[in-house]
Amino acid sequence: MPNHDEFDLNLDVLPGEVEKLRLQVREFARDVVAPRVTDLDGAPADDFDWDMVSQGHALGLTRVAVPKEYGGLGLGMLGCSVALEEVASVCAGTALIFGAAMLGQTPVLLSGDPRLQARFLPLFSGDAPVLACNAVTEEEAGCDLIIPANAVHAREVMTARRDDDHYILNGTKRFITNAQVAAFASVFAAMEGAPGATGLTSFMVPLDLPGVVRGPVADKMGYRLCLGSELEFHDVRIPAENMIGNEGDGMAINMAQSNMARASVAGISVGVARGALEQALQWCGTRVQGGLPLREHQFTAAKLAEMSAKVDAARLLYLKAAHKVDNELPAPQYEPAAAKLFADRVAIDVADMAMSLTGARGYVKSFGMEKRLRDAYGARIYEGTPEVLALAVTESLYAAGEPI
Amino acid sequence: MPVFESTEVAERVFGTLFEILLQNAQFTSQLRASDLSIRLTQTHPDCVLHVSADALTVGDDAPEEATVRIKMSSDTAHQLWLGKLMMPTAVATGKVRISGKVARVLELVPILRPAFDHYPELAAEEGLPV
Repeated sequence: MPNHDEFDLNLDVLPGEVEKLRLQVREFARDVVAPRVTDLDGAPADDFDWDMVSQGHALGLTRVAVPKEYGGLGLGMLGCSVALEEVASVCAGTALIFGAAMLGQTPVLLSGDPRLQARFLPLFSGDAPVLACNAVTEEEAGCDLIIPANAVHAREVMTARRDDDHYILNGTKRFITNAQVAAFASVFAAMEGAPGATGLTSFMVPLDLPGVVRGPVADKMGYRLCLGSELEFHDVRIPAENMIGNEGDGMAINMAQSNMARASVAGISVGVARGALEQALQWCGTRVQGGLPLREHQFTAAKLAEMSAKVDAARLLYLKAAHKVDNELPAPQYEPAAAKLFADRVAIDVADMAMSLTGARGYVKSFGMEKRLRDAYGARIYEGTPEVLALAVTESLYAAGEPI
Repeated sequence: MPVFESTEVAERVFGTLFEILLQNAQFTSQLRASDLSIRLTQTHPDCVLHVSADALTVGDDAPEEATVRIKMSSDTAHQLWLGKLMMPTAVATGKVRISGKVARVLELVPILRPAFDHYPELAAEEGLPV
């Protein structure tokens, strides 16, 4: 007899623990984040709300993907993506504070090394919030550090040099989310002597070590509630056991990490789009022109319908990607890249249409719509631009069926 | 040139490895406590093993069902258990492919650590390069 449970494809029902978290995070976003967003968005670039982060930490947002035995929620990338959609429906920048922390944890999760995991992962389960960051991008090297074929062409990349049972790191990372507020970073540096970034190697680096300097915060267009800054390393000496994998494995680990994380970024983009859609729905349902609510005007209805369909389609893609990521190692390349490629575009399109539908009010800062549009452009940059994602998607299309 | 000349040799070496692990009470109790079973599918040469707290099955009779399914070449398995290939590298580069709840896989990794202690001796006894 067939097991009918296997054919029960109910896409409306999330696993119980994930649904519970989603509801808790929705309340957090509505009651804690929303009242602060406008003020924090207009604050100086280096303003950071630790109280808000602490309340998210209390819910487990700093450790959604951390296994339960290390004090995390153990809800994988599905839990992470769903939670970040909820936060991003109110504020993408706040969502990225927690998303970047997860990204900094990912190499430790991937390491399969119980000693590294026991050292770093429980840090996220204390009473006070601890954040992490992922340090890849540099002034002269962006895509050159995430596309293997580019590695040999990378210039002036941060270096690592073996010194007995330690490594010495030198260089500067740029545009690193959470660098200003994180306790440690996953850092990618090229081994000295190897061409370009071919010797890229992954390290876990506590940011209180001598020689680490947190640089100025970038004054960004959007995502202003999370801080992006430089991170300088001046002869920073770290124990060899902080290396993930072997020397030269950094590119592969970086790609594996991206494949794990992209579903959650797609979740953020869906959140941005959903927030814009909900605000537009509210406006178009109450605003009366020509004797009818806007939603009953056919051009408006067409836009709302298209926006809603795009949000739903983008959500289905990221749920599928997150589910695959939670059930396969290495994480698949195609589904997360396709989900992010689509969702990032949807966020921009939907926020743009919502802006159009809300007219002059949408153009006024206090209404909140222009922030959504500014934020919508952010996810198109981090964790893979459309150009990088397109290469990942097409590479997967041509690599199907590759034997082991 | 593959490390293992035949399926028979691969099954003998990896079968013995997991027989030793199953004699370890801590290994079996952890498998049982976590309700874990593993199906290892190796290629070049083919070698299939199914490991649960109660039994080891080698070859065509190995059950399909398992909480964690691991696929790799027998050469990769050799490098992995020798400690010459790190797990994150093997996974990141796709040399090892694992299906099953990733949370369960993360539970499994520390349980398998005794295999790293026993394998070099087993391989040497079989005359394999170590």
